[in-house]
Amino acid sequence: MADIKEGMNSVVDRIIAEKGREKKALIPILQAIQKELNYLPEEALRQVSAQTEITAADIYSVASFYAQFRMQPVGKHMIKICVGTACHVKGATQVYDAFMRKFGLKEGEHTDHDGKFTLEKVSCLGCCTLAPVVQIDQVTYGHVTTSQVDDIIADFGAQAGKKGKKQFRKADGTEIRGEIRIGLGSCCVASGSEEIKNAVEETVNANGLQVKLKHVGCVGMCHQVPLVEIVPTGGEPVLYSKVKPEDVKDIVASHFKPTGLLSKLKSRLLESVEYIQTDAKWEGIERYALDVRDKPVSSFLGRQIPIATEYRGIINPLDMDEYRSRGGFRAVRRALLKMTPPEVVSEVKASHIRGRGGAGFPSGIKWELVARQPHAEKYVICNGDEGDPGAFMDRMLLESYPYRIIEGMIIAAYAVGASRGFFYIRAEYPLAVRRVREALANCYAANLLGQHILGSNFSFDAQIYEGAGAFVCGEETALIASLEGRRGYPHIRPPFPAEKGYMDHPTLVNNVETLAQISWILREGAARFSAIGTEHSKGTKVFALAGKVARGGLIEVPMGTTIRQVIFEIGGGIANGRQFKAVQIGGPSGGCIPAELADTPIDYESLTKMGAMMGSGGLVVLDDTDCMVDIARFFLSFTQNESCGKCTFCRLGTKRMLDILESLTRGTAKREDLDELERLAHWTRKGSLCGLGKTAPNPVLSTLKYFREEYEAHLEGRCPTGKCTHLIRYVVNDKCIGCTLCAQVCPADAIPFTPHEKHLIDTEACIRCDACRPACPVNAIDVF
Amino acid sequence: MIKLKIDHQEVEVPEGSSVWKAAEAAGIHIPALCLHNELDHFTSCMLCLVKDGSGKLFPSCSVKAADHMQIITEDEEIREGRQMALELLLSEHVGDCEAPCQIGCPAHMNIPLMNRLIAAGKWEESLKVVKRDIALPAVLGRICPAPCEGACHRKTVDEPVSICLLKRFVGDENDLHPWPVPPLEGKRVAIIGAGPAGLAAAYYLRLRGVEPHLYDRAPKAGGQLRTAISRDILPEELLDREIRTILATGVTFNGNTTIDDRHFEQLRRNYDALIVATGNIDDTTKAFQLAGTAKGIQVTGEGYETSEAGIFAIGNVLRSSRLAVRSVGQGKEVAFAVLQYFHGGKIIGEPRLFNSRFGKLRPTEFAEYLKESVAGKRRFPADSPRGFTPEEAVEEARRCMHCDCRAADDCKLRDFSTRYAASQKRFQTSPRRDMTKKFQAKGIVYEPGKCIKCGICVRLTEKYREKFGLTFIGRGFDVEIGIPFDESMDVALEKVALIVAEGCPTGALEPIRKAGDPLQ
Repeated sequence: MADIKEGMNSVVDRIIAEKGREKKALIPILQAIQKELNYLPEEALRQVSAQTEITAADIYSVASFYAQFRMQPVGKHMIKICVGTACHVKGATQVYDAFMRKFGLKEGEHTDHDGKFTLEKVSCLGCCTLAPVVQIDQVTYGHVTTSQVDDIIADFGAQAGKKGKKQFRKADGTEIRGEIRIGLGSCCVASGSEEIKNAVEETVNANGLQVKLKHVGCVGMCHQVPLVEIVPTGGEPVLYSKVKPEDVKDIVASHFKPTGLLSKLKSRLLESVEYIQTDAKWEGIERYALDVRDKPVSSFLGRQIPIATEYRGIINPLDMDEYRSRGGFRAVRRALLKMTPPEVVSEVKASHIRGRGGAGFPSGIKWELVARQPHAEKYVICNGDEGDPGAFMDRMLLESYPYRIIEGMIIAAYAVGASRGFFYIRAEYPLAVRRVREALANCYAANLLGQHILGSNFSFDAQIYEGAGAFVCGEETALIASLEGRRGYPHIRPPFPAEKGYMDHPTLVNNVETLAQISWILREGAARFSAIGTEHSKGTKVFALAGKVARGGLIEVPMGTTIRQVIFEIGGGIANGRQFKAVQIGGPSGGCIPAELADTPIDYESLTKMGAMMGSGGLVVLDDTDCMVDIARFFLSFTQNESCGKCTFCRLGTKRMLDILESLTRGTAKREDLDELERLAHWTRKGSLCGLGKTAPNPVLSTLKYFREEYEAHLEGRCPTGKCTHLIRYVVNDKCIGCTLCAQVCPADAIPFTPHEKHLIDTEACIRCDACRPACPVNAIDVF
Repeated sequence: MIKLKIDHQEVEVPEGSSVWKAAEAAGIHIPALCLHNELDHFTSCMLCLVKDGSGKLFPSCSVKAADHMQIITEDEEIREGRQMALELLLSEHVGDCEAPCQIGCPAHMNIPLMNRLIAAGKWEESLKVVKRDIALPAVLGRICPAPCEGACHRKTVDEPVSICLLKRFVGDENDLHPWPVPPLEGKRVAIIGAGPAGLAAAYYLRLRGVEPHLYDRAPKAGGQLRTAISRDILPEELLDREIRTILATGVTFNGNTTIDDRHFEQLRRNYDALIVATGNIDDTTKAFQLAGTAKGIQVTGEGYETSEAGIFAIGNVLRSSRLAVRSVGQGKEVAFAVLQYFHGGKIIGEPRLFNSRFGKLRPTEFAEYLKESVAGKRRFPADSPRGFTPEEAVEEARRCMHCDCRAADDCKLRDFSTRYAASQKRFQTSPRRDMTKKFQAKGIVYEPGKCIKCGICVRLTEKYREKFGLTFIGRGFDVEIGIPFDESMDVALEKVALIVAEGCPTGALEPIRKAGDPLQ
């Protein structure tokens, strides 16, 4: 025992030596301890307290604040079940329940009896287009259904220990016959692009082909992943979507060997052909590609203007030369060598760009405010603590364009006179962290960071800071508290971070997307930027389009594009031929905009007017099977869970609203409850300290405004869409052929095994898990 | 200096002052719970919301006063917001302000305090507590059906505390009037009927400097106490003794005097106020021509005012009841109302404060409550007719579990909840949390269920550099104030236990014995 303690102490001592002894090192210290020891043992925390200037009270309160930290050991493998918006509307709760049943877990238990697996709900894995998504350690499974739990566990067991066999042999540049581009954004990786990459490497190696294999960031067409693009030298590029590893050989062969084209697999980018809608029945686990190829369509890209996502699908995220050859670093060069800081600020002001993080404060004015502060030491923070369930813009931008964001930060730092910068990135985005870390190292090597950048008099250092899992840290004052090693408690503004931010120094906090658009503005000019968009909202906005839309993905459109254009032109309309009902914009801070208002142009003002909010740009499409009361409950349960607990209205107001919404979805609410819900929503908005609480009621208020009749129905004990499980029952109709499939899949023994007879469902025993309905081959199960 | 307007009043304060401080300087007290004079603002409770000229609400503790500000510190909207903030805090408040027995007592007697004083052997002190609310303790100690014992939390654990017998013990032990009697201030009140209600009214009026005159058709005072109760239960000597104590404070008794309508008009002219306490509604009483209900004379809710100004009515004449304690309680309450009438204020009777109540104890909470008590079922006097011996009384009184809150008299949450008429029930939308009590050897007790998470204690232990101190644990709705590594309260609070308890705005952290506690 003494040995174990000693061993632990030496681990902790080593970590402290590396991370420092001050309070601001606390979160990195805890992260490092957990990484090594799997959780935060009390002994280790006591050792931290003994060896640093950080008090026991601080350690304990920080460790218990952030969702990332565990005070108890967990199973060998973590099963993360995404319950983000897109996954929620596609049945994530049922999937979670299925896993709970699989391991025989009761409420409050998370680890199976063998200590092998620990279940965890996560708010968003950022793979919304593959919803519902489950991640076991590093393996991600998309489109999961409740009946696949056993297969997934088995498949994960089979995957364990496997590694990529060969490294791709690097071809000599002069001999390149072409380029094979493989998407390596998180969605692509999740959908199996690693296997594709391995298959391509294998094929290329086996045939001794002289081609360049290239990894590119997110293309944005996340509904088509995994994507492989073949670009023959001097030839026309061809994009293959939803590729399977076994197809790779044929695809590669068709381009680099004189064999015929595989027309059935190929489709040309930007070719205007009608999109073939498939709702393929998944056979087994959809970790791999689909069995039907989709044709890409011009309409997906047609309305888009890539600024933050410029050269998407073309540039390798970490290839600095390529970024440079596509105009990269031209802006920072111009700014540092040809412009004064005030000139840079004026340019940004003239572009009228507004903060892309949600609230839409004019960025130029923010910059000016920081620039005006007389302090010698100032900071810049890139806010990449994207926590909205149903939004993955920041993740994708950081993963795909790290240089662009770093360039934006250097320009910002120069303009405001900052000497240090932080990339605050959620720990849930390991790939983004890795890419930015590597990109930062490359920038140091290229003298884009460090002393006398590009030979100028300007010096600037930047580093990564991993967030530890708290949505509230997207709020800038909470983010700064977290950066200082404290609980993510926001404080009232003023003082604004611009005057008194990190360590009480003037600090500029900008969102990832804002910084990603800065280099374009400096390079192309403010006038070009402000020519795009509406009167008060200039430029473009990146949205994560997900939910019940045919083609989900990441899009960048001019401000002022209408909701209809986004959903029907870019997104290809509603999936499965259902009716468009509403779109949820802005995540937990936003609201639900009904189909009738689909022709509204999207900009900051119009969204606020409709009771939604730009938020960080999550756009989840809802169809006629989605219950709006359930959607409101879903978002409230998120914000309630993420409330920091500092102020009364948010801590208790969100909880009481959630209580009422839950009783509505259970059919036990009374009419007075609806009035109280509305009053609570108004006061939580008016009385909360920070943006989280002030905007938390929006999903409630907007659904009450546009879908009040659904609330009324719940008061009568009805859920018109059949989503609220307490208010529905499953009934077998006369189409039943007595095949027993439903009885076999029922986890609750609610369907007696009666071959050749019409089955019956015991409503008392039924847990509404929806396993039987899809299992029935003749659609004999109805939901009332 | 900064010049601003607060509630249309010009205020000048040094630069850097918060709006809250500026208001204080102008004599305007904005409610706040999370503010502490040794600490920087924290912006948690949100009670201090005020409005600026544009109508925007903001927490006044955290915003600096600036030139030309026009602040409104209270209006309809702000009151609504404060009420809601309080109701949200109360929705998770697990604690009783007053003990359930006290609330159950129609005379609202401070039973737990009486019990503690008996347990400490302080008979005279305990008599003071009893007589503050009950004019005839020895009498009621024999005839009261004891609704207090029905409400007693100890009943859930095993059996209620023998409250009624303890009260009888206090009354039997000492027949003195325990306070000096104040001089008369010139007002005279006629009380028609010298039963328990009339006697109590006379007693408490006299204690407030009013000259009471009792009129009764019977030769002796006592009303139905004398006629409707068996002597075996209530011996005459005892009744006489307790009535004598009341009359001896300076109450005039006029026996053998039937008040008819003519007399009534006379009394009305000759006295500053009248109290009708005739015990039941008969033809004589009807002749007073006061508006009535089917059951008796009609009076206002808490003020006992009849349809005629200056005429009050209490006791069974309102509606027939077997509860003498209710009549005695009303006698006490009407004294407040009469004084309010004399002073020309709003007549509300005995001022009632907000009371937090969490309902029944759960079996898991028995042990928490027994921390301040002793085990064992209730005891009865070995010699039943004689009542408790002092030893028995002490033993039984020690069974009391101290359900009343130590902060009942100085809790800001209670104070503001009274002021803004907050309802605890409004947002009770989910089951309450468990209640626990943690004791610290140096003399403070922590009840997490009463914590409002304002962090004053956390910030104080940080300021005074406690080695462990208190800290926030968890987040959001589930955030709690706890001790790092689950250390004990003694380890947590080595230096500043009392400072922290002093700083707590509610009853979450309190000294086990407060200054001024008669048991201190």
